[in-house]
Amino acid sequence: MALRDQLRIMVVDDMSTSRGVITQALDGFGIRNVASTSDGPSALKALASAPVHLVISDFNMPAMDGLQLLQHLRAGPKTKGVGFILITGKADKESIEQGRKLGMNNFLKKPFDPNDLRNCIEAVVGRL
Amino acid sequence: MTDHNDPMAEIKASFFIECEELLESLQDGLQEMDEGSEDPETINVVFRAVHSIKGGAGAFGLEELVRFAHRYETVLDEVRAHRLEADSEAHKLFFAAADHLSDLVRASRDDLPMPVAESDRLLTSLEALLGDVSDEEVRPEDFEPLGVSLTLDLPDLGDLSDVEEAPEAEEPPADSWIVRFKPEAELFDTGNEPQMLIRNLCALGEATVTCDLTDLPPLESLAPETPYLSWTITLQSTCDEAEIREVFEFVDGLCELSIQRPGAALESESLPPLGPSVTAEIARPPEPTAAPTAATDPAPEPPEPAAAAAPPFPDDTAEAAPRKSKDGGAKSVVRVDLERIERLVNLVGELVINQAMLSQSLGEAGLSPHSDAMNGLEEFQRLTRDIQDSVMMIRAQPVKSLFQRMSRIVRESSAAVKKDVRLITEGESTEVDKTVIERLADPLTHMIRNSVDHGLESPEDRGKAGKPPQGTVHLTAAHRSGRVVIEVSDDGGGIDRKKVHQVAITKGLVPPDLPLSDNEIDNLLFLPGFSTASQVSSLSGRGVGMDVVKTSIQSLGGRISIHSERGRGTTFSISLPLTLAVLDGMVVNVAGETLVLPLNVVVETLSLGPEDVQMLRPGAFVVRVRGGFVPLYDLGVMLGYRPARDRHEGAIVLLISLDDGSRAALVIDAIHDQRQVVIKGLDDSFYRAPGIAAATILGDGQIALILDPADIIAAEGPLRGAELALTQGV
Repeated sequence: MALRDQLRIMVVDDMSTSRGVITQALDGFGIRNVASTSDGPSALKALASAPVHLVISDFNMPAMDGLQLLQHLRAGPKTKGVGFILITGKADKESIEQGRKLGMNNFLKKPFDPNDLRNCIEAVVGRL
Repeated sequence: MTDHNDPMAEIKASFFIECEELLESLQDGLQEMDEGSEDPETINVVFRAVHSIKGGAGAFGLEELVRFAHRYETVLDEVRAHRLEADSEAHKLFFAAADHLSDLVRASRDDLPMPVAESDRLLTSLEALLGDVSDEEVRPEDFEPLGVSLTLDLPDLGDLSDVEEAPEAEEPPADSWIVRFKPEAELFDTGNEPQMLIRNLCALGEATVTCDLTDLPPLESLAPETPYLSWTITLQSTCDEAEIREVFEFVDGLCELSIQRPGAALESESLPPLGPSVTAEIARPPEPTAAPTAATDPAPEPPEPAAAAAPPFPDDTAEAAPRKSKDGGAKSVVRVDLERIERLVNLVGELVINQAMLSQSLGEAGLSPHSDAMNGLEEFQRLTRDIQDSVMMIRAQPVKSLFQRMSRIVRESSAAVKKDVRLITEGESTEVDKTVIERLADPLTHMIRNSVDHGLESPEDRGKAGKPPQGTVHLTAAHRSGRVVIEVSDDGGGIDRKKVHQVAITKGLVPPDLPLSDNEIDNLLFLPGFSTASQVSSLSGRGVGMDVVKTSIQSLGGRISIHSERGRGTTFSISLPLTLAVLDGMVVNVAGETLVLPLNVVVETLSLGPEDVQMLRPGAFVVRVRGGFVPLYDLGVMLGYRPARDRHEGAIVLLISLDDGSRAALVIDAIHDQRQVVIKGLDDSFYRAPGIAAATILGDGQIALILDPADIIAAEGPLRGAELALTQGV
């Protein structure tokens, strides 16, 4: 069984378009175990009952941004080990450095094509 | 991804819908900023709107949109970070950029050529605002991705869904606590026993206990007196924090203890600061999940039910979650194809007709009005009407989006004629049929331009008149007696009636010797051919006169009227039916023809006595109504059904009141009844006869024309009224 069949991913983005794009791309890689939510708090809530291997989150979101979500994940006993990829429109040094400190596994700058996303994921979890 | 073309197209379509929403909140946010809002969330919303549009655009390779949004966003980010102070000039630029962004979105959506030159122009201005901001970004190659080896090390990842623990089927409710407890060596030295403490804790409620074994060294290096274990207890209990602390009272200072509500993880100070240590931690081999942990848990508590099946993987949690509306209340939204609604509207229309036919045939069958069938029919009638109202509500939309477009028109047109203009909108939440909103955009645009260009004076003239240099245009919408009234008013100089009258005479639109009332002169503006080349400015001069505006409003079943006061300003008032599909009508008979009049214009019905009518001249009559005079029109004559008559005694007259406040009396032969009729538009192949608005099918299957009384009277020209004014002066 390939990794892609087993991998469970949570996509967090406030824009349904972006969620759709990422989910479609994942679907294209054969990853079907994908959940998505529109904000950090509901992601945390969903992850409490249904853990995943990897969280792919947008940076800029209302209420809780991607790095705050990461911080919460790392602080939760059940979620602290989850893989985390930050999707960001602007990979400025400050944010990326902060992400690195918080234990961000990788980041991906928008816009990206499905191949970029694939590479980004594989760098974290291995060959799909 | 080639085999997923369709879903992507769907996502793209929904992206453009999402863009409209984002553009709306962008406009709102900018407006708030311009009005001096200090709320940091305002600029956040503005920034995020542009950012989100850029993000989505990137996914679809809409390069021009991305290019523009990116720089715009950068500037907004500077404002957000307080590195850039945005003054009102900057706000103007932001508005212009928002307008341009919406142009780019629409051009992208409709595959139109991109207005690149305008992007460049605006970007130059935005860059100038920016100065030199370092836009240095981290390149992906400069970042060392951190593998999550843990997942891969799981021996049976395939069975993950079965093995992976999910101790609570749902999120612990608000009345639960998460207690983390890590004993220090001293705790054991003083003879305390973690097992006892945990058991006491469990007495407070239902508890799930997890033991963390990560610090446990291999047996050979295990120091018997060193504490390696820590516990996390999820306690479901209504107890307060103090009661939990009480359990640990005697070990205070002998352990690390954190008590918190689920989900409140970070704000709590009791947590160790996050930093590089965390990074190191996650790079480690897998965190044992709770199920295996529980199995080896040395604590005497019964292991949690490891066999409990994992809950079904939540699919797209957010989509099912209610959408938050702007005012904070939750409201869920379904997007429906307009075609389906149209179909429903048509079906309901048919239902109304059908119900009318049924009523008629039951009535004709001679059933008593108190019979069960008639009672049932009444109920049916009521339900039909409710259904109709509900269906119409589906089509109704707030005029807000339309008004937002108008604020752009004001910005652009005031800049073009170098006037300082403020637009004040009211009643944005007023709901109007979607089709009406769409078809109002053009006429309203022209009216707004007209107000800015012709209505408002130049700043110098305003100064001379003792007015503030900034002109104001009011745009309001409201429901008024079953119709929607939209008004555009300015605080300009008002209509120069002398000049207007002169123009009309010069153009041969009115005879030079005919005296006209102020209102009649104002209404000359709507005459075809009034708009002149000499009036054409860079702005409203598009070869479109107010007559075109009037025609488009009329085609919506609406009316337009004008009110102007010298030196004070001009108000254009549009009155529209709430819906284009049904009408409360009065069915009348004129010269053997069945006609329908909108019920809401009928004020009263009269039967004429010999004293009531006065003749002004042959063919022109007035009716005395309670001391006043009202012009009398014979519908049969006006519609060409019969020749004019000299005597009207005994005739039935409908007294109607028009939106501009004028009244008229219409001679008819008989009133059939009042009922709801379904409006059926007349095919374009019919010649548009003045006064005929549409047609309908009555209960007996007969076709009847629906009249627009205001239009009929207007077709008679303003002259009748002028004569009346003279009469009233006598």
